[in-house]
Amino acid sequence: MNLEEISSTFKLIRSNPLSIAGIVIVATFVIVGLISPYIVPYPADAWGYSYNLETRLVPPSPKHIFGTDEMGRDLFSRVVLGARFSLIIAIGVVSIALAIGIVVGLVAGYMGGSVGMILMRITDMFLAFPPLLLAIAFAATLGRGLINVIISLALSWWPWYARLIYIQVNSVKNLLFVDAARIIGLSTTKIMFRHILPNSLTPVVIQAALDMGSAILEAAGLSFLGIGVPPPIPEWGLLISQGWALINTAWWISLFPGIAIVITVVGFNLLADTFQEIMDPRLRSTMVMRGI
Amino acid sequence: MPISREYIIKRTVSLVFVVLGVIVITFIITRVIPSRPELLWTGPHATIEQIERARRELHLDKPIYIQLWYYLTDLFMGNWGVSWRTKMPVLPSILGALPATIELVVVAFVIAIAAGVPIGMSAAIRRGTGVDGAVRVFSVVGASTPVFWLALLLQLVFCSWLGLLPAAKRVDEYLVLSTGFRPVTGFYLIDSLIQGNIPIFIDVVRRILLPATVLSLYPMCLSIRMTRALTLEVLNELHVRSSIAWGIPRTRVLYRYVLRNVLAPVIASLGLSFGYTIVGAFMVEIIFVWPGIGYYIAMSLLSYDYPAVIGCVIFVAILYSIINTAVDLVHATIDPRVKL
Repeated sequence: MNLEEISSTFKLIRSNPLSIAGIVIVATFVIVGLISPYIVPYPADAWGYSYNLETRLVPPSPKHIFGTDEMGRDLFSRVVLGARFSLIIAIGVVSIALAIGIVVGLVAGYMGGSVGMILMRITDMFLAFPPLLLAIAFAATLGRGLINVIISLALSWWPWYARLIYIQVNSVKNLLFVDAARIIGLSTTKIMFRHILPNSLTPVVIQAALDMGSAILEAAGLSFLGIGVPPPIPEWGLLISQGWALINTAWWISLFPGIAIVITVVGFNLLADTFQEIMDPRLRSTMVMRGI
Repeated sequence: MPISREYIIKRTVSLVFVVLGVIVITFIITRVIPSRPELLWTGPHATIEQIERARRELHLDKPIYIQLWYYLTDLFMGNWGVSWRTKMPVLPSILGALPATIELVVVAFVIAIAAGVPIGMSAAIRRGTGVDGAVRVFSVVGASTPVFWLALLLQLVFCSWLGLLPAAKRVDEYLVLSTGFRPVTGFYLIDSLIQGNIPIFIDVVRRILLPATVLSLYPMCLSIRMTRALTLEVLNELHVRSSIAWGIPRTRVLYRYVLRNVLAPVIASLGLSFGYTIVGAFMVEIIFVWPGIGYYIAMSLLSYDYPAVIGCVIFVAILYSIINTAVDLVHATIDPRVKL
């Protein structure tokens, strides 16, 4: 990107209120995720290691603004700490999936031939599963647990990144500088990782970062189905499913974690839309022209 | 223009390979990853004899490639294992639950198209206005909402608080007994109409309305976004602009030219969102006690009923591959521009 492009990108972001909203939401989510253990009003409640008989199922009130659950734990503390677990899951899923996807896509794209074909056929087989279904199979096999959720989701996600990297590598590998590297006798691994990868990585990494919203949504789904993170971890999907049994007496237990999920995922999706507008030069030129 | 025979054959062959690949991946997940597959297969309360028998039935004492062979032949013979929650064979249970899920998903798609296309088009012709902005925000928020959370809330509001709609099940059992309703196809909406059983039909509609609406949210948002983008594109095309310039009424231009160009790709994209929707149906069904595949797999997950879970995973994945292929073929027939 040259200077002009960067400045027009900033102009694009600044002029679109939805993009700004996305940035604010995602930044807030990341900051809350990082500092939540130190800011929650009731730390013991947040981690789930407390039982307060006298404050069971208190509706939202000034003292407990999101109310309390059936164990008398402050729901606000639990939802705020939940941001940390969602952040951990999202970063874990995306980075593991990205690592596998990069290796597979890079090798398949650069090697080509039968190796490339076999690798991409395997990728296609993984893509033949509906989203989340493969993760359900992995999670049911591995059992409940934070790490297992991350592994299950990552193992069902990497094919998307393998495809993206594969396409990028194919468009880069015949450029002149790669030929030059080959002619001066660099090893294949060196060409792949030092010359091709850095030139095909950026869009995929940005895409992956923005996919963290979907990772949060899918992890919540696994937890709701009872194969995600185990209690007493205050993961948002798990909080919703714990409120399910009490929905008629204590609607607030399920309501607030869900709102947290919606706002966070909306933030990531708004940023993803902005990113797509930036990457699509046709759209970008018309938007800059029209001063949007 | 009819599609070429080679194209159909090519897609069918690749479908066969995809299905084989799906089966091999599930084999790796169920037999290679766990250290003792027979323990998962028999569940937490199994006796030693049951575990030993499962070891023999799963052929775990044989080399891995022979295991794969038996796994494949078992699947094709319809021997998908026995659920230890219901003590019933898995495949017949899934097939019995299939119509309920298909009916729910089809109604959800009908709602998604019926609402999504007009909303998307009206946003596109009012581009840049407040309406357009509101529609865009709605489509982003809708696609970011966990479907099980929305199902819970709407059930609470419409069924418990307002009492407008029944909260669960496909049909009222007392009504079934008193009116002598007999399901034939398993699609209750069709069955009740064939038999002229209006009370049952009304009851079924009232019960399917809420779960189908919840389930339609994601495909609806998708079709809103696609319709909006495509309409903007088509409105810019020369034949549309010149027909507006010719003085043809705008509504007629919209119906004649724009809708026709927009509808096919939007419907095709819904076919691809089938996978997302059917997994969403798992969660919606368990909340609305809807006796389909989703309810079956969700109950199986909650009781660690491994054979049933894996059976559902294989079944849904194969169904998804078949539907994707069918959508591609239909799309290629409708739209001669598609060349794959």
